[in-house]
Amino acid sequence: MSRYRVSMDIGGTFTDVISYDEDTGEYRAGKSSTTPTDLTSGVFAALDSLVDDTRDISFLVHGTTQGLNALLTRRGERVLVLATEGASHQLHIARGPRWRLYDLHYRKPEPLAPLQDILAVAGRFSSEGAELTPLDEDAVRAAAARGRAEGITAYAVCFLFSFRAPEHELRAEQILREELGDDVTISLSHRAAKEWREYERSSSAVVEAYTGPVVRRYLTKLERSLTERRLPVPLHVMQSSGGILTAESARRRPLQTLLSGPVGGAMGGAALAASLGRPNLICVDMGGTSFDVSLIVDGEPDVSPETTLEGLPMLMPVVNIHTVGAGGGSVAHLESGGLRVGPRSAGANPGPACYGRGGTEPTVTDANLVLGRVDPSWFAGGQMHLDVEAARTAVATVAEPLGLGVEAMAEGICDVANAKMAQAIRTITVARGIEPRAFSLVAFGGAGPMHAVFLAQELGIREVVVPRFPGAFSAWGMLQTSIRHDESDPYYFRDEDVDTADMTARLRRMGASAAEFIRSEGVSEERGRTTFSVDVRYVAQEYTLTVPLLGADEPLEPDFLTSLSARFGEQHKARFGHANDGAPIEVVALRATGLGDLMRAAPGAFSPGPTATEAPVADVWFAGAPTPTTLHRRSDLGLEPFTSPTVVVEETATTVVPPGYTVTVDERGTLVITAEEPA
Amino acid sequence: MSTSVDPVVVEIIRNALTSAADDMNASLIRSAYTPIIYEGGDCVVALLDDQHHVLGQSAGLPIFLGNLEMCTLATEETFGRDVWQPGDVWILNDSYIGGTHLNDVTIFGPVFVEESLVGFTASRAHWIDVGSKDPGGPMDSTSIFQEGLRLGPQKLVEGGQPVRAIIDTISRNVRFPYPTTGDMHAMIACIEMGQVRLAEIVRRFGLETLRAARDEIFAQTERFEREVVAGIPDGLYEAEGVLDNDGLALDEPIPVKLKITIAGDSIDFDVRESADQAHGPVNCGVAQAVSACRVGYKLLVSPDVPGNGGSFRPMTTQVREGSVFGAVAPAACQWYFSHLGLLIDLVAKAMAPAMPGAVAAASHGDSMLVQVAGHDSRVGRDYVSLEATLGGWGAWDGSDGESALINNVNGSLKDLPIEVFETRYPFRISDYRLRPDSAGDGRWRGGVGVVREYTVLEDCTVSLWFERSRTKPWGIFGGGEGVGPRVVINPGREDEREVLKSNGTPLRAGDVIRCETSGGGGFGDPRERDRAAVESDVLTGLVSPERAAAVYGR
Repeated sequence: MSRYRVSMDIGGTFTDVISYDEDTGEYRAGKSSTTPTDLTSGVFAALDSLVDDTRDISFLVHGTTQGLNALLTRRGERVLVLATEGASHQLHIARGPRWRLYDLHYRKPEPLAPLQDILAVAGRFSSEGAELTPLDEDAVRAAAARGRAEGITAYAVCFLFSFRAPEHELRAEQILREELGDDVTISLSHRAAKEWREYERSSSAVVEAYTGPVVRRYLTKLERSLTERRLPVPLHVMQSSGGILTAESARRRPLQTLLSGPVGGAMGGAALAASLGRPNLICVDMGGTSFDVSLIVDGEPDVSPETTLEGLPMLMPVVNIHTVGAGGGSVAHLESGGLRVGPRSAGANPGPACYGRGGTEPTVTDANLVLGRVDPSWFAGGQMHLDVEAARTAVATVAEPLGLGVEAMAEGICDVANAKMAQAIRTITVARGIEPRAFSLVAFGGAGPMHAVFLAQELGIREVVVPRFPGAFSAWGMLQTSIRHDESDPYYFRDEDVDTADMTARLRRMGASAAEFIRSEGVSEERGRTTFSVDVRYVAQEYTLTVPLLGADEPLEPDFLTSLSARFGEQHKARFGHANDGAPIEVVALRATGLGDLMRAAPGAFSPGPTATEAPVADVWFAGAPTPTTLHRRSDLGLEPFTSPTVVVEETATTVVPPGYTVTVDERGTLVITAEEPA
Repeated sequence: MSTSVDPVVVEIIRNALTSAADDMNASLIRSAYTPIIYEGGDCVVALLDDQHHVLGQSAGLPIFLGNLEMCTLATEETFGRDVWQPGDVWILNDSYIGGTHLNDVTIFGPVFVEESLVGFTASRAHWIDVGSKDPGGPMDSTSIFQEGLRLGPQKLVEGGQPVRAIIDTISRNVRFPYPTTGDMHAMIACIEMGQVRLAEIVRRFGLETLRAARDEIFAQTERFEREVVAGIPDGLYEAEGVLDNDGLALDEPIPVKLKITIAGDSIDFDVRESADQAHGPVNCGVAQAVSACRVGYKLLVSPDVPGNGGSFRPMTTQVREGSVFGAVAPAACQWYFSHLGLLIDLVAKAMAPAMPGAVAAASHGDSMLVQVAGHDSRVGRDYVSLEATLGGWGAWDGSDGESALINNVNGSLKDLPIEVFETRYPFRISDYRLRPDSAGDGRWRGGVGVVREYTVLEDCTVSLWFERSRTKPWGIFGGGEGVGPRVVINPGREDEREVLKSNGTPLRAGDVIRCETSGGGGFGDPRERDRAAVESDVLTGLVSPERAAAVYGR
């Protein structure tokens, strides 16, 4: 009988899987090595580690990095771009900013389509949506002929003002289909991103055409294999927005899955915020070669309507993940007689010296090992044995010129790395107008819990939370989400020019469309809901804030615009530190989001271990001295609080707690670490 | 010089100082009222020690590099060291002290810990209007008195209390007092955040440790830069060029001459032979000339090293008072950046023989501004739009130059999308593409410029500032020069005319403004260019078959 809800997160090295038993409320974690050549075999190996029979699965969600990898390695599909004559170089002009100020050799991010694969097509609308020049259908047919001759199977159609008047893009699609049949990918810019700004919208469409076929092939293959194993439910896929959708829909809108992996962690943070009753969290996800930060504010993940990847803009809702450093792989080195840690990373290969893969430079992971903060025989759940001597030798190469002992140097490397990571977090919060002291810190990823308490110290944060399965937290987070579908519609009016009846009519149409989508995902009507919002800014600003509405009919209320302006002002004050009360505002876009609740059951209590009174003690280096420190297996921990210093190891991560903290396991198995003295 | 301080502590302090500056900048950008700051990044912040050395800084624009200390120094020289008191905040915008135009306002204050002066924090940002004769700032001023309110060092906050009289005076002198005072408060909040951060660092590590660490940090930076400078062959390196004109006397070019002397691990910049200060507004104060030389230096010597008091120690700068780089009252300074952009480019040109791998050929070189103003009958409102136009950058050893980029003094400014422009203003952008055959030829060719063509839908006025038609973007090591800028009103019509600078020229509905910017200069002999690259350029249309045949022998 179907009773397991299962999520899978395919990372570069490991595929993590989490199962939730609907009968007992129990969560379990498993992992397998990712198999790059045929991902599905790694997926099934991970699945098999937790679920005996695929037919027992009642819900399956999955974060895929297929599209992202295709983009990062530039191994997507060759795309033929059709663009408006007179504006056909958008993708190469790319609005022209220089992001590095002191660089005579500056290069823009390489566009995905070279100039010779961009064809100009006549046809033009005005900003009001009036047709100025009819579409040159012969030019579209000529493009199809060229594509056919050159074997091109992906097409992006990017015409000016299509967000307002999509007719030319739709007609071009019709012609391309007539000429090329159903086997080619066609991405229309207004469908990929119904927003103004032709460069960003075109870029979204081209990324979709470039990565879409890879995602589609992969999802189709995975679904076929799952069907062979008689999976009784549809496969779901994580979206960059933090919601999920069925694989069938993901094949139609592959762009939305691009950042589907890391977003799971932020959604897990949001779920944790609710279950812990702590609405404000700083989530740090630290792996061997990465350090990502996301914020949960007032219980909500921080979602932006656009993002950039590899310098390429994309207009789609994404949970903000700030990548700020290199994680455990950061290399310590000397420069002009001074110590530096990072930004260079040893990466996964050769990796830290202690991996024994030929790395000789000391990394943060090596330093942790020298200090006794990592158990060399229990790294990654015992899947990798670490070489302490190699780590010491590497650390000595920087310790000697600086006249320091190996342990002192190792602690110094960690201190510098922690200080830099904490400063990066602080700058992110300052830019959001947030005081980090009022937040709790959530740590996950293999190396997050090893550094979290030190980061909290630097930031004046008193409480650190390490969820269960910290190494598989992104997968866990995927089980905590809803079906989500976003609709947007550019709607540009200054406040005094807004026709509120028209605005409501449009919002209703968008809401109906979003609700229909949620129903088509198999969610019954009573479990679906639709939220509405508008993008607003002060006149002459470029950036907008998304202001939630009470409903599609709110614009019909008397004084709606006054109320909207006041709410926008409040949000502006919270976000930017001030409001420009009384200044004119403009509406830029309307948004509707359909959400389908998947009816999560509450987790049952986890089973605590015996209270660990007899934990072994070892010397771990803290504050310049070897310090007797208890070593715990996390699975052995009971509900009894205990005091640090301690190191808690588990399959996927190691938690290091210096002296001065109380460690508690709550009834869900979450590790809560609290400063004894006010920080 | 101290070696007694723990190298780990030194590195933690070094990062803490840089990060404190980043936080100040993030705070300023977050709380500024006007888009030129929070979107254009037209601002800079710094933490200084009590000897006015930079401990950490963060800038949105390179041209602001390292001259905030001139403001605290000038204040101290005028009023004496005892003038610094806890809880005070100061303001100034005098072009001849700060170096830029009056719109760039500097706000700064001392930092005290337990009653001793431990340093300063400072911020500078562009104010949208300071009461000049034309809104925003004039294009044709001939005296600083036309450019707005000019403040020497003034107390803005005294003992923690705002000085209401000076704030009132400022409000009366600017056109948009509400957002301007908003920006002022954002800058005050920013320097107060810096004061808190610096005081925290002093308390955490102790003043003695901080000073010892500072000495070591400066020494590391100086050592790094001296090593690079020492690696450059000794000698005299020269380059020169001209601004087209000062915007008023269109036939009179403004020469800019640069001599760089390398002797061991020292480097001297001499711009004394440049033109006398101009009648028009293309002048700047000494501080800004030093900044521009520093940008040129940093591009070649230490692009990736965060600036601090150890930076630029190998470097000296010679500027002549009364020249375009050492403007004295009452010289007009509104367009202080055009000749600075040229000076920065000339540094790379001068040093090319000594550092062939690090330099690049010249870029299109200036902001290439298009300002249009009029009435939009679609919404019944007046509008003003000011845009910089992208252009090509120079090639270097191993790569073609980049096409369609913003110029060096404008940082990360973006163009305005066609869809946004046409929605906001009554125009049609009838053509916006890369400009073929605009780049300098070479083994590595320059990046190409752009064509941006506006069709006027309602009567309006246009003001233009296009530069570098006389000193075109030069090539190096045998590379060709870019073709130069070109603006044509009504191309192909009987009333067709070319113009590069204009102030408030009236245009009628149906008129066309076609702006073409230059490509960058080339690197190396074009005959050595890779055949496949020539073919590819012809295929993409960036180089015409005719030019490919004539220059590259295709």
